[in-house]
Amino acid sequence: MTWLIWRQHRTEVVVLGLLVGMFGVVLLALGTQAHDLFPGGPARCAGEARVTDACTASFRRLDDEYGYVENLLAAFYLVPVVIGAFLGAPLLARELEDGTWQLAWTQAVPRMRWLAAKLAALAGVTVALTGMFTAVLTWFRQPFDAWEGRFQYDAFDLQGLVPVAYALFAFGAATAAGAVLRRSLPAFGVAFGAFLAARMSVALVARPAYATPLTTREPVPAGGAKDQAGSVPGFADWTIERGYADATGRRLSSAEYSELEAAADQAGTNLNQFLHARGVQRFGVYHPADRFWTFQLVEAALFVAVAAVLTGVVVWRVRRRMI
Amino acid sequence: MTAAGFALRTDGVGKRYRKGWALRDCTLALPAGGVIALVGPNGAGKTTLLRLAVGLLAPSTGTVEVLGHDVTASTPHTLSRIGFLAQDHPLYKRFTVAEMLRFGRACNLRFDQGLAERRLAKLGIPLDRRTGTLSGGQQAQVALALALAKRPDLLVLDEPVASLDPLARHEFMQVLMGAVAEGDVTVLFSSHVVHELERVCDHLVVLNQGRVTLTGDIDTLLAEHRVLVGPRTSTDLDRAGTVVEAVHSDRHTTLLVRDGAIPAAPGWQTQPVALEDLVLAYLRRPSEPGAAVAAEVAS
Repeated sequence: MTWLIWRQHRTEVVVLGLLVGMFGVVLLALGTQAHDLFPGGPARCAGEARVTDACTASFRRLDDEYGYVENLLAAFYLVPVVIGAFLGAPLLARELEDGTWQLAWTQAVPRMRWLAAKLAALAGVTVALTGMFTAVLTWFRQPFDAWEGRFQYDAFDLQGLVPVAYALFAFGAATAAGAVLRRSLPAFGVAFGAFLAARMSVALVARPAYATPLTTREPVPAGGAKDQAGSVPGFADWTIERGYADATGRRLSSAEYSELEAAADQAGTNLNQFLHARGVQRFGVYHPADRFWTFQLVEAALFVAVAAVLTGVVVWRVRRRMI
Repeated sequence: MTAAGFALRTDGVGKRYRKGWALRDCTLALPAGGVIALVGPNGAGKTTLLRLAVGLLAPSTGTVEVLGHDVTASTPHTLSRIGFLAQDHPLYKRFTVAEMLRFGRACNLRFDQGLAERRLAKLGIPLDRRTGTLSGGQQAQVALALALAKRPDLLVLDEPVASLDPLARHEFMQVLMGAVAEGDVTVLFSSHVVHELERVCDHLVVLNQGRVTLTGDIDTLLAEHRVLVGPRTSTDLDRAGTVVEAVHSDRHTTLLVRDGAIPAAPGWQTQPVALEDLVLAYLRRPSEPGAAVAAEVAS
């Protein structure tokens, strides 16, 4: 079976391997240079220490010289779906398209064993390729993370455990779509659409709710100093919502805030002093940075669970001989 | 294999797809040994029945037993005793012929690689060619060599020659019949072509609109059926339901009857029936009383 699986899927595996290898080498080369901007490692510049002059200079150079790479990383959102769906779509669909399922399942290897071997091997390749790529990307982003935290959409979604879980989800979706649609290309398309829909809705709606966010409230300082070091939520925390509340803690709508601004203007006083005098507070709703791994685990578990359900559908259809 | 054993036994087998029943109440007992033809028009349910026989499909009702084993269990042992050649003889198009043989070796408990290589060499099919670049006839031969290399006890072929040109068709049947003569294999194949069946087959199953309308040993069927020709009449045709088909011309009535050897009424001539005419008569017959669509199929 090992030989057969390799022979049937070697094109996909080799092409994906080359792509991952190519991007990986480029990221390693650029990442080494970016890391060299931080003698002693980028972690030393994270948090409070980032205000030191050396760190500020390093971050400025990082932004100047490698900021464009960081912007390009957004394209790597699609790496998990390309890997997973590319390997999953033909698993059953190509056999059904070419009629070779009748050949494959009338040899002495029972179909369930055939399916188990294929699913295990190709899911394994999916995990290995996505895992390697994610490891390189996670390392590459270390200097950027020290600057921006790991909770932003272009950080959280590209590193840690979740990309592998996304890839397994895409693999499961493509395999199941292939079993139902019996065609590779439409199966790939369906998996792609399902991936985008699931990723967007989870990131925007579900992810903020993995834990109860913390709320901080502090009076508007009369002096008007902004963003002083140690403010909460900090740079690495994930801010869900920010705004102003009145003395009783009731949140102000943007209209109400504009009225206050206009009133301060009319009175000719400094806005901060005006707000301070009225007991207006600044509030922030956020997830602290140390929840990163909890959130990674929750989101990875979510996608792996859906992948397992989709695989279950495939197994059920093949077992019931609905194909 | 025991001579008394059955290659394929089905009991009340039905298969329902979303569109409706493809096969209903199919009860068959096909003896091991020899060649069995499954005949019927397109859409009669032949492919469904064959896929059920090799375990590719599970029946909606009833049981399917191949060589004494429930085929839906799909054990390696049962699977290794069945060879299957699907319609249009699918192969992995990007595999070379040698890789197809390696596939057979990798996926089977017993696989006679030497036998397959000898067969292909005799036909002049190079092992290093991709199967997708071979002609239709050569692809069919590769698929057949692959199935025969399993040394199956039951070889099932779905419309094996339907897509082949006359020459390739002849060559294919020659190789197939050669294999039957050499080994202890039961062959079950489907066809919508009815001529030449008599020459190659021992047993016949006629399938029409998802139902078995005739099954039996060909010699016995031919002995049981007769053509009676007599003066035109429209009465007296219901004698014990043995009239398969009645054709009336201006002055004569021609009856195909299944009556063993009951003497014909005075004034009636008796003739033996040709296998092709027998099959056609059963195909024209409504598969159940009141099935008006049967006429459409026969036309």
